[in-house]
Amino acid sequence: MAAGPKGQGKLMKFAIERAVLVKAVSQAQSVVERRNTIPILANVLIEARPEGVSFRATDLDTEVVDRAMAQVDRPGATTVSAVMLNEIARKLPDGALVQISNDDASGRLSVQAGRSSFSLATLPREDFPVMASSEYSANFKAKAGLLKRLFDKSKFAISTEETRYYLNGVYMHVAQTEAGPMLRCVATDGHRLARIDAPLPVGAEEMPGVIVPRKTVAELRKLLDDDDADIAVSVSETKVRFATAEITLTSKVIDGTFPDYSRVIPTANQRKLEVDATDFARAVDRVATVSSERSRAVKLSLDQDRLILSVNAPDAGAAEEELIVAYADDALEIGFNAKYLQEIAAQVDRDNAVFLFNGPGDAALIREGSDDSAVYVVMPMRV
Amino acid sequence: MSGRADSPGPLAGAGKIQDSPRRIVHIDMDAFYASVEQRDNPDLRGKPVAVGGSAARGVVAAASYEARAFGVRSAMPSLRAARLCPDLVFVRPRFDIYRAVSQQIRAIFADYTPLVEPLSLDEAYLDLTDHLSGRTATAIAQEIRARIQAVTGLTASAGVSYNKFLAKLASDQNKPDGLCVITPERGPDFVLTLPVGKFHGIGPATASRMQAMGIHTGADLRAQSLDFLTRRFGRAGHYYWNISRGIDHRRVSPDRIRKSIGAENTYPADLMTLDQVLDALIPLAAKVWTAATRHRIRGRTVTLKVKFADFQQITRARTLPQPVASETQLLALARDLAATVLPDPRGARLLGITLSHFDSDDGPAAQLDLFGDPA
Repeated sequence: MAAGPKGQGKLMKFAIERAVLVKAVSQAQSVVERRNTIPILANVLIEARPEGVSFRATDLDTEVVDRAMAQVDRPGATTVSAVMLNEIARKLPDGALVQISNDDASGRLSVQAGRSSFSLATLPREDFPVMASSEYSANFKAKAGLLKRLFDKSKFAISTEETRYYLNGVYMHVAQTEAGPMLRCVATDGHRLARIDAPLPVGAEEMPGVIVPRKTVAELRKLLDDDDADIAVSVSETKVRFATAEITLTSKVIDGTFPDYSRVIPTANQRKLEVDATDFARAVDRVATVSSERSRAVKLSLDQDRLILSVNAPDAGAAEEELIVAYADDALEIGFNAKYLQEIAAQVDRDNAVFLFNGPGDAALIREGSDDSAVYVVMPMRV
Repeated sequence: MSGRADSPGPLAGAGKIQDSPRRIVHIDMDAFYASVEQRDNPDLRGKPVAVGGSAARGVVAAASYEARAFGVRSAMPSLRAARLCPDLVFVRPRFDIYRAVSQQIRAIFADYTPLVEPLSLDEAYLDLTDHLSGRTATAIAQEIRARIQAVTGLTASAGVSYNKFLAKLASDQNKPDGLCVITPERGPDFVLTLPVGKFHGIGPATASRMQAMGIHTGADLRAQSLDFLTRRFGRAGHYYWNISRGIDHRRVSPDRIRKSIGAENTYPADLMTLDQVLDALIPLAAKVWTAATRHRIRGRTVTLKVKFADFQQITRARTLPQPVASETQLLALARDLAATVLPDPRGARLLGITLSHFDSDDGPAAQLDLFGDPA
C-alpha cells in the first residue's frame, strides 16, 4: 500500500465491467461493519493503478482487498460507501461497462453506466485505516479444498457466547498424531466439539496456533470455491492471511488461549453404535418436532441392534421412532440436544456415522466410519 | 358453605363449579415498610415517616399513616413530600428486614391453604374455597390478621370476597387494621359508586383516558358496551367490562410465574454523557443478574428503560436466540441498547434494565458442559 498514488489532485478514472465490479465490491462490503460509529469504516477504499483497481474494506479486525481487472485511464484513489456502491453495481444492467471517476472539485465519485449516473459522497483516502503489515512466521500454500474441509466441518461448533470469546473462532494449529504432523482445526462451544485434521502442507511446520475469528472463517469461505486453487496462507502470533490471485483476506486472530481440548475427547468409550447418518438425522428431526422449543432434548435408547429415539415434552406431546442399527453392547439411555445431533450428522460425508458412548452423563464421540481425521464430541443432556 | 366442608361426598369438589362462589381473601400489610421502621425504632412512632431517599432525586417508597395525613404518598418525589410535610422523617429502606417479615407472614398463610399468590412482599391472595375446615372465610381472615400482629407486631388489613378483584378492593376499605367482606349479593353494586381510578388494573393513565370519555365511576363503566370497551382498550376492555359487574374469573395461582426481573435507578443529577450512562449500567446489571441467579432464572430478552429529564420515557429491547449467559453479557447488551439512544441533549434521569422472556426448560433437561464449567 505504501507506494500507492496520492489521491489529492489526481482525477482517478477507470472503466470496469459490471460483473467484475459486483464481485469485487460485494466481497468488500461484507466485511464492513453494519453498525459502526466511525464513518470511514462504512466505506470501501478504491485504488486505481495502471495494472488494475483494488477495493479494500476493513472493520479494523478483518481486512479484505479485492483486485479487479479494469481499464485505468488515470490512477488515483478515494473512499465511498461500500453498501451504496454494492447496491448500485448490483442494480446496473447485466453486461454494462461502468465508468468511475473522481471529480476533485465537488469531492464526489461519479459512477456512470449507460444512461444511469450517480454522484457519491466520498471521504479522503488518507483517513482510511490500512491494516499494518506484519512479519509472518509461517508462509505456506494449501489447496482451497483442504482448507474448505477443515473449516466447513468445524465451524458449526464455534461458540457465539461472547463471554467465552476465546471460543468464538476456529483453533488452527499443528498437531502431532500417530500418522504424523497434521494441520488441525478445532472448534467448540463447550457443549460439542469438532476436531478436523488434514495433511500438513509444506512450510506450515513452524506455524503458531491461532484462533481464527468466526467472521474471518465466513469471509474465508468465499475464497475457497475452486477446490484446486492454491491459497497462500501466512500466520503470525497476532494475524492470519489468506490470499488468492485476486483477493487478500487479512485478520487479527483472537487474543486468548484455546482450552486444552484433548482432555475432553473421550478415548475409552466402549459402547459402539453404527447408524446411517442420513436416516439418523431425519429421524432426529422428526421426533424433535414435538420437543420443547428451547431444550430440544431427544432421548436415545439403545439395545441389541435397536435405537429408539424419543421425545417427551409434557406440554407439547410425545414422539418415538425406531431405527435398525448396529449395536451389540449393554443397553443405554442417553439424552442429547436434537440440534447438536443433527448438526454433527450433517457433517458426516460417508454413509455411516459411528457413535462411541460411555455412560448417560459422559461425552459421546462421533466419527465418520473408522476415519479419525474428523472427530466430533457432544455432551449429553440430563433427561 | 360449612355443610360442604363437613360432608366430603360426591359434592366435595363442587367449589370448582363456576356458579358456586369462591372464598378469596386479600391480605395487605398496613404501610408496610414504614410500619416496620416504626416498630424497630420507637423514636419514629407517631411521627410522619417516609421510607426512601431524601436526596434531590429520591422517591418515597412507603409513607406512614401520619405522613399520609399530609398527603404524602408512595412513588412521590421526596422533594415534593418534604414540601407537603416539613417534619417528614426520611428513613433508608432495609429490604433484608422486609423480606424476613414477608417470610413470616407467608408461613402463616401456608397454614391455611396451599393456594397463596403473593403479589409483593406485603400482600397476597389466598383461595380458601376448599380449605375452610368448617369455618367461614371471614373467621379465618380475622385469625390470620391476629396471628400476623402477634408474630410480627404489625397490622394487616383483609378483604374477603368471591373473587380477586373484589377481595383487593375490600382490603382497602377499612384500612388500617381492618377487615371488609363483600358478599356475592353486594358485589355487583359495590363497584358502582367507586371512582374508576380506585379499580385494580386501571392505572392513572387509563383512568384519565376514561374520564375524558365521561367514565368516572363504576356505574359509568358498566354503562359502556363490551364492544365499545374492547375497541377503545383492546383486550383489557373485556376485563373492565367484567369488573364493572363485580366479575373476575382469575384464579389464585401460587405458581404464578415471574415474567421479568428488573432494576432501575433515578440519578441525583441527569446523566449527560454516554460514559456516565455506561458506568451507571454496571450496578444495575449486577443487581438484575444477582436476582436472576438467586431465582435460577434465565431470560432471553434484555430491555433498557430510559427516562429523560423531561420525563419522556422510552424502552429498547433485544431478544437473543439463547438465554443471556452471564452478567458480562447482560451488561454488554444493555450498553449496546444504551448506545443506540444516548447521549441525548435532555440527559437521562432514570435508567433501568429488565431481563424477561424466561427459559422455561431450565429444569430437568440440563445440557452438560464439556469443560465442566457452566455455560
